[in-house]
Amino acid sequence: MNYSTLFYTLLILMTTHTSTHAQSGKALTVKKTFSRETSVSIDIQADAAIVWTLLTQAADFPRWNSTVISIEGEIGLGNTIKLKSTLDPKRVFKLKVKEFTPEKRLAWGDGQGTRVYTLTPAGNGRLTFSMSEKIGSPMFPLFSKYIPPFDASFEQFAADLKKEAEAIQNTKN
Amino acid sequence: MREVLDREFEACRRQLRSYILRMTASRDDADDIVQETYLKAASRLDTFQGNSSLKTWIFAIASNLAKDNLRTRQRWTENVTDLSREAALSDPVFFQEAMHIRLSSEQGNFEIAEHIAFCFTCIAKSLPLEQQLCLLLKEVYEFKVTEIAEIIVQSEAMVKYYLHSARSRMIQVFEGRCALIHKEGACHQCSELNGIFNPKQKFQEEVVKIAMAREAAQADKEHLFDLRMKVVQGIDPFESGAAELQLHHLTHNRKVMENYLEKKQD
Repeated sequence: MNYSTLFYTLLILMTTHTSTHAQSGKALTVKKTFSRETSVSIDIQADAAIVWTLLTQAADFPRWNSTVISIEGEIGLGNTIKLKSTLDPKRVFKLKVKEFTPEKRLAWGDGQGTRVYTLTPAGNGRLTFSMSEKIGSPMFPLFSKYIPPFDASFEQFAADLKKEAEAIQNTKN
Repeated sequence: MREVLDREFEACRRQLRSYILRMTASRDDADDIVQETYLKAASRLDTFQGNSSLKTWIFAIASNLAKDNLRTRQRWTENVTDLSREAALSDPVFFQEAMHIRLSSEQGNFEIAEHIAFCFTCIAKSLPLEQQLCLLLKEVYEFKVTEIAEIIVQSEAMVKYYLHSARSRMIQVFEGRCALIHKEGACHQCSELNGIFNPKQKFQEEVVKIAMAREAAQADKEHLFDLRMKVVQGIDPFESGAAELQLHHLTHNRKVMENYLEKKQD
């Protein structure tokens, strides 16, 4: 095996590994000096319209999502919502909806970071739901130790969404 | 074609009337909307393209008319029966009227199954309107998801979402409140009212005749909700032997809610 073949073999293995990991529902966090990014992806057997509805009905979140205590406001482009999360129940996060492309992409955030949700068709009535949040700034190294890890919360969010969306999808006609 | 409409309308008139009653909580409004539905269907019969059944088309017209009704749009609170109980206890006229109906009307019986259906109507008015409509159409009037999507002009995905979230919410409310299915349930109005209107009856002997109450200890909450829906399906709120008493009670609860919501707005 020459170097070129070895390189491409390793590349394919890495790509395959990343793809499997990405849809497994396991969170991944990449830490850098001035930022931290956590992401999770999971395959869901449901219409994008159902997943999108769950992600955009603010008041309904606590019913199905065990990581959310409450969301006040209407999730629409340019709107500000108030979110209380189980990650830090005493804080109310005021977040601006920055992107809102129905059934495709949603993003909200504040000065510290942005959370992005994407829905990608995966064939056979499935879709891949991905969620990532990057927090960072020049001051990040000073306050990073006060920010709790997101991994468990992200995995729970993705699992709750999958369970609820698939239950709705399977509603009998 | 007009004859076909008349025949179909007569065939579904009773269901339509109870459907609108469960949305408006008003006998008069229900009758008005049923009448308007017929007039509108007759005047627009040439627009019926046969893409759905005539019954689905009639329910679509009725749903649209009902959605314009203020009493339909008004959303109640989950504790409607608590608030109404308090109001009834401080209003001697309510029980005088109710007892008069109980003793003089052929439709003045008090039956637990009727009260379960009445209670469902009240609590369902605390759901967002689209959820209430989907829940009624599917669980009580047995329309398919595809038909409901046509009736309320929404995608099938949205109908499924409304149905699922409505069921989840209602199950949660009844789990917390209904003493018929949960020992810790806060609401005992069935037994209280049965004691008032049927003093010689033994409540426990009556209640085990209802599958939902009989199976409460063993069945899961989804199944219990399905059993509750079977009870509701079996009740025509205008025609049953308890109709007049329950309609009197429903009118009372509606007025309590209207006053409560008006005060809350001020």
